[in-house]
Amino acid sequence: MDPLAEVPLLPGEERVTDKDLIYMCPFSGAVKGKVFITNYRLFFKSTDVDPAVTLDVPLGAVSRVEKMGGATSRGENSYGLDITCKDMRNLRFALKQEGHSRRDIFEILFRYAFPLSHAMPLFAFLSQEKFEENGWSVYSPMQEFRRQGLPNDKWRITFLNQSYELCDTYPTVLVVPYKATEEDLRKVAAFRSRGRIPVLSWIHPENQAVIARCSQPLVGMSGKRNRDDERYLDIIREANGTTNKLTIFDARPNVNAVANKATGGGYEGEDAYQNAELVFLDIHNIHVMRESLKKLKDIVYPNVEESHWLSSLESTHWLEHIKLVLAGAIQVADKISSGNSVVVHCSDGWDRTAQLTSLAMLMLDSYYRTLKGFQVLVEKEWISFGHKFASRIGHGDKNHADADRSPIFVQFIDCVWQMTKQFPTAFEFSERLLVTVLDHLYSCRFGTFLYNCESVRDTNEVRTKTVSLWSLINSDQASYINPFYATESTRVLYPVASMRHLELWVTYYIRWNPRIRQQQQSPVEQRYKELLALRDQYLKKLEELQLSDSAPHLPNSTAPSPASPTQRVTHLHTPF
Amino acid sequence: MFSVKPLKPTFKSYLPPLQTELTKTPQPTINKLEAKLLPGEIVVNEVNFVRKCIGAESSRDDLWGKLICTNFKISFVTHDALPQQKFQYANRLLGEHDVPLACVEQVVTVNDAKGKQKVLGSNQKLKFNPTELIVYCKDFRIVRFRFDEAGPESAKKVCLAIAHYSQPADLQLLFGFEYVGKRHCAPSGDQVNGADRAGGPQTPLFDRTCDWDREIKRTGASEWRVCSVNEGFSVSPSLPEYFVVPVSLADQDLKQYSGFFTAQRIPLWCWNHHNGSALVRMASIRDPAQQRKLDQRICNAVTRSHPKRGDVLKSDLDKSLPSIQDVQAAFVRLRHICVIEPFEESEEKWLSSMESSRWLEYVRAFLKHSAEVVYMLEGKQASVILQEEEDRDLSCVVSSLVQIMLDPHFRSLQGFQSLVQKEWVMAGHRFLDRCNHLKRNDKEEAPLFLLFLDCVWQLMNQYPAAFEFTETYLTVLSDSMWVPVFSTFLFNCARQHTEHSRDFARSKNIPLGRDKALRFPPVWDWSQQFTLKDQALFNSPLYVGKGGPCVQNGAVKSFKRTKKNYSSTLRGMPSLRNGLLGEHDYFPRRSSLVLRLRPDFSQLREAAESPSERFFGDWLSRPPDLQGLLLPQLLPSHLKLWRLYFLRWVPEAQISRGGPITAFHKLSLLADEIETLQRQLRQYKGGAPPSSAPASAPGTPQPEQRRMYFKADTPRDPPSPPDYLSSSFPFSPVGNLCRRSILGTPLSKFLSGAKIWLSTETLASETL
Repeated sequence: MDPLAEVPLLPGEERVTDKDLIYMCPFSGAVKGKVFITNYRLFFKSTDVDPAVTLDVPLGAVSRVEKMGGATSRGENSYGLDITCKDMRNLRFALKQEGHSRRDIFEILFRYAFPLSHAMPLFAFLSQEKFEENGWSVYSPMQEFRRQGLPNDKWRITFLNQSYELCDTYPTVLVVPYKATEEDLRKVAAFRSRGRIPVLSWIHPENQAVIARCSQPLVGMSGKRNRDDERYLDIIREANGTTNKLTIFDARPNVNAVANKATGGGYEGEDAYQNAELVFLDIHNIHVMRESLKKLKDIVYPNVEESHWLSSLESTHWLEHIKLVLAGAIQVADKISSGNSVVVHCSDGWDRTAQLTSLAMLMLDSYYRTLKGFQVLVEKEWISFGHKFASRIGHGDKNHADADRSPIFVQFIDCVWQMTKQFPTAFEFSERLLVTVLDHLYSCRFGTFLYNCESVRDTNEVRTKTVSLWSLINSDQASYINPFYATESTRVLYPVASMRHLELWVTYYIRWNPRIRQQQQSPVEQRYKELLALRDQYLKKLEELQLSDSAPHLPNSTAPSPASPTQRVTHLHTPF
Repeated sequence: MFSVKPLKPTFKSYLPPLQTELTKTPQPTINKLEAKLLPGEIVVNEVNFVRKCIGAESSRDDLWGKLICTNFKISFVTHDALPQQKFQYANRLLGEHDVPLACVEQVVTVNDAKGKQKVLGSNQKLKFNPTELIVYCKDFRIVRFRFDEAGPESAKKVCLAIAHYSQPADLQLLFGFEYVGKRHCAPSGDQVNGADRAGGPQTPLFDRTCDWDREIKRTGASEWRVCSVNEGFSVSPSLPEYFVVPVSLADQDLKQYSGFFTAQRIPLWCWNHHNGSALVRMASIRDPAQQRKLDQRICNAVTRSHPKRGDVLKSDLDKSLPSIQDVQAAFVRLRHICVIEPFEESEEKWLSSMESSRWLEYVRAFLKHSAEVVYMLEGKQASVILQEEEDRDLSCVVSSLVQIMLDPHFRSLQGFQSLVQKEWVMAGHRFLDRCNHLKRNDKEEAPLFLLFLDCVWQLMNQYPAAFEFTETYLTVLSDSMWVPVFSTFLFNCARQHTEHSRDFARSKNIPLGRDKALRFPPVWDWSQQFTLKDQALFNSPLYVGKGGPCVQNGAVKSFKRTKKNYSSTLRGMPSLRNGLLGEHDYFPRRSSLVLRLRPDFSQLREAAESPSERFFGDWLSRPPDLQGLLLPQLLPSHLKLWRLYFLRWVPEAQISRGGPITAFHKLSLLADEIETLQRQLRQYKGGAPPSSAPASAPGTPQPEQRRMYFKADTPRDPPSPPDYLSSSFPFSPVGNLCRRSILGTPLSKFLSGAKIWLSTETLASETL
């Protein structure tokens, strides 16, 4: 049988080339087989082992392609290709040394893995996929602000950034204090890095305390002050009628904030902002996080470090960074719960700030813990507010060593996962959603995570020319639902940000290891779904018996109201 | 405002000071506080107006009451309710604030005015009046009492009594003897606890031949027999009176061989695989001259009991596994980092501290070794002899783990209990010494049983639906070691049990009647400690039992265990090279020489994986059959700290309204709903019972005995988990640990140091 027939092709996906080669599997050794390259993926299938070894890697996940060995290299299988992936794995293929056998495949791979470096479109623009649901309609800023009860008498919606004049990395719709005029906003923008002024992210429905986000003030070496900025923050503070101080959370370590003065940035000085308290959250920058994840990869791929696992894990500091991010978000949520408004920033306000505001909102607002709400949260705090996905992930870009790369969003998803572990019933979505989001963070199959900000997305017509990741997910919601979800409307979730509870997300970071049982869902989840099916079956049987049996044997008080026999496992709320 | 520490009154007040009583009024009935006593329990000393410290930062939530030392427990009686405590998992033998004396690890008295502290031992003097008492417990609790308003002399007396009575000089001074003696005299059925015996199946104790016969029959071990050569403990002091041996060995042979084994411990049969291979445990052979001959005889006998005359492999546990001292040292370090070290300060180095405690490394070592024995029994179809110097420690862990992995029966509640009874209690694990109940020899203390429970927890964590019982059950079982009334954990061996209870009865003139001795209740009689309702927390809603229904592809199926499917034989096993299993001795079948084949290491390195690794790999690549073989995931990244056990008393680590229990709660509601439906379906007597419903399965509960703790109808399917759930549930750190609240004393630094657990002597000599 032609193995070609088994290559899964998406609508719009086209085969480019194929080649016989050897996959140097780090677990089971050299495996002969055939590799297929399409404009979307690399697909490998072994020909000589049973069960077959297959690889299915979206080219978007490729970070680096290198030649390994030369025409004269000695040793078996020393000549070939080495592929580094963004999703925690490396692939190695060996070819015959004769006749430059790898030249073609290397070039094709290089071109299709890094289309932007070759003036070619990303696959998301070629995809012809159709879904029942349109993911682009998930998030509408106006609708979301209305859900939060905005505008109100203290906060108004401004369209000042309609054409990205105020700030080119912000969305067009912004919520600002009612008392601040458009002119005020312009003046504040001049004093904030890249014009990213403090704007409202979330408002507490009862105490009206707000989370505002922004970038660092342009204090500089000379310690410049800006009366407009000072007054603007004071308006934010008093908007909910408290006399408490405004808390400014600077996500950075203190020293970093000081160092930023040298490049014109800085932080809010005590003298200038007398009604505010400044708290540094000690979260490190994108470079530290990148190196940390790199170290983590070293101890989990291909083999899990066995002899000193825990101390090796500690030395990556990955969990420590997770802890600091979560602990910061807890502080934000705590301030809000007690009625104090907060302003969150880091340097530019698009990495650590996004982590903190979105995690705090996840703790405070149960809406964001639903499948739909989580999509809104990501669209709002990450995508629309200009987390630089293109720079951080490097979609289609051959510059794998670019200093802008950093797993900030991965870290955020990891924090969410930690919260779902601590509160197994509080989230409507399952681990599978988080893994899927991360897979498509890299894949370039959807437009959702492409480009750095809304203005560039508009220019490239992402919403009309590509498909949204949420289209895929919302057309198959059942697959992403957490069966243990219990609706709770008003509860604030405070995870325990302690090493005692933080865990390495093994089902994500160690998922390529064949020594680990691969399972679609956790055994507990699976069992729960089995029990749901069993319950439905019994209900049906009971109903049949009750119908056929005219004389009722049972007192009906304990009998459940008959449930629809068409109920499926995936239905969560059964009338019982 | 009031100060955190109550002011010292100028005159001796016998009422609690008013300034700390803003939240509660002084109890007029405080003098009427009485300890609740069990049969045989007497009050030794007591002191009034004692403050039990609750809050970490202030004394606002502290409780006022009476501190009592009895011959069984430290009891704190109060009329005040514990704050934030909406849930109480009550032990029938103990009050809310009670600590059994057997659970006391260390007693520390403090006088903060004088800046003095002393670790109290038995029969010691105390030259200062204590202002506070800190009790470190074996179950990781730390309880603190303050005597600011108490009579100084009475306070001192109570402290001394606690120190003295928690270190009994003799086994028969352990409370269990008085208790069982008194209960023996009382007319039956009139038990103080009203212990309502559950009608369920009794756990076999393996002190009778019929229990062994049943086990032989259950496992199809037709070539094995029960022998009674040790009746009256005439051959070996530490073996049970009845045990199982190869049919081919006559009683005469056994008696003859016994002399050559350490402590006359003849090899014991543990379990049979349906493929015919057997698991056997044995002590070392003392006489080197007899070693080879005896080894071979035993080996031949085991081979002859294998229907296919399969190989016999020997596994030397002393060489392959950490020693009991290693395990104890790891435990002490782990306890230190879990409950002694200040929480925040230890965060940064938490993972490496965990690693350097080596506890998880040992858990992994035992699981790994057991999995390899499983491979030999299942994959190689060879019988395995576990050998250990005395066959009373490491063997207990390995033999039970092997059986849990291979035989689903031992993953049911009754099966598990029978396993502990068979491989630990009857096989002569020295519970008395390992628990150090008499606090006589610290070198003998080792938490081997806890290590075993942790290994079981790891399996349970990886395969939650494979076990009938829960982690709460495992925790409660472990805690029961410190309630010294159960036959299970009081003795070093069956003989000690029999002799001491007989002697005690004689010395107290207790008429024994037809019984040979006093009967200590086994811990398995759970109604001694918990109500039926609370016992429901032992039942896992996830369990896929053998009679229980399960769903595959939407169709309800009923598991019927056949001989074949509970342990699928491996197909296409690769041909094996000899000796690849490293440390294990290898006996070629029927050879005249006992050979130890050296593994060819160069060959081993080249092979991508060893046969056992391939065996594990094959197994992992298939979906697990929860009613079949279960192998642990052994990567260090997949072994976790057993948080419920180790962190349940740490307030900072408590996830309020979260933790795995919240999912458990939801599962329980569903499982209970299903039970209700099953019952309703069964009530249709007219129609035939639905074929797929296991309506007639013997294990299904009666309407009044529902399995689940959380029930679907009360209140009607609540939308969210109850408030009182937390990651510590059903335990609560509230009031159990006041580590951070050593206000006004110079102790805080001192308490965070390591030595308090480690060396009592150095400390005691330092002060006073």
